[in-house]
Amino acid sequence: MEIPENAVSDQARQHAEEEALAALVSQYAGTLYRVAFSVLRNPSDAEDAVQEAFLRVLRHRDTLGEVRDNRVWLIRIVWNIVLDRKRRAKTRPETDDVSELARVLPAAGLSAEQIASAAQHHAHVLSCMEQLPAKEREVLMLSAFEELSSVEIASILDITESSVRSRLFRARNIMAGLLNHSRSLR
Amino acid sequence: MNPYSDESVSGAMSNFEDTLRLISHVPVPEGLVDRVHAGLKTAPRRGRILNWPAALRPGSNWMRAAAAAAIVFVVAGGGWGVYSRVQPPPSAKVAGVPPHGAASGGFSNAGAMRVPQTVKGPIVTHAAAAAAMRQDTSPANKVSGQAAQTSRHSKPLARDKFATQPAVPAAK
Repeated sequence: MEIPENAVSDQARQHAEEEALAALVSQYAGTLYRVAFSVLRNPSDAEDAVQEAFLRVLRHRDTLGEVRDNRVWLIRIVWNIVLDRKRRAKTRPETDDVSELARVLPAAGLSAEQIASAAQHHAHVLSCMEQLPAKEREVLMLSAFEELSSVEIASILDITESSVRSRLFRARNIMAGLLNHSRSLR
Repeated sequence: MNPYSDESVSGAMSNFEDTLRLISHVPVPEGLVDRVHAGLKTAPRRGRILNWPAALRPGSNWMRAAAAAAIVFVVAGGGWGVYSRVQPPPSAKVAGVPPHGAASGGFSNAGAMRVPQTVKGPIVTHAAAAAAMRQDTSPANKVSGQAAQTSRHSKPLARDKFATQPAVPAAK
């Protein structure tokens, strides 16, 4: 029995796409998790967002060959997912709770008192960040990822590089003002 | 530098980027990659059940041709509907031609299709006027009448005055 040539090429193509997808998961799942966590600040929600992002990639795996920068493309997908989830949930992130933040953030070699103090500080910084305008907040969050350049942040947010710089400048100024104000109240 | 030392914690209020950096480096939960792989394997493959057949794919040309045919059908149907409802007026088989030429001894009607009814002529109803009319028509009075009319300075007679005035139409 002769196997049609089209069927062989389809199978080979499908196999290649699955291998490429598996490689993407192995390479970028951690990065996507961190990006998702920075917005959602909830481990299980962040993991769900990563899963959903790769499911979207699976649905559009035909276009994988056209993607120029896989990392930026994947971060953009997960970024849109987490923003959408956050908008829908409208709930306060779980990690605004100080004890939960102390549990999630790494604190190797610290005393319990130091961990509690650091967690309190981080919770305060995060609550100040929630007061930032959304555009400035998004740029500030993405800028914390050292592996992302301003060009890549611009590509993820679909804005120009100069807009990234100006928003980052504004965000830092506002954050400094908020933190100084809260410090003067203490 | 340890970000959690007492000095850094007290002085980190302004250095908020430490917090962001810390969050951006949260440890990835164990087994995340395996779980994502497992999720992708159990995910339904795209379009296995609801995929369009190749001939009926929305992007193919048949849909465009069908849309064009539908537009032609609607336009032609509408045109035929209008044509079938509007009946042309029946054309007259015999054309009425008005009689040409002027009637003998009078004005012609210039080929008019309809000629309105007109009053036939003045009918004198006054008794005095009728008597004057009768006298005018007798031969003896004709001569004296002519003589009277030829004199330049003489005033017209009362009977002539009556004769020249139009009679009251009987139709009133």
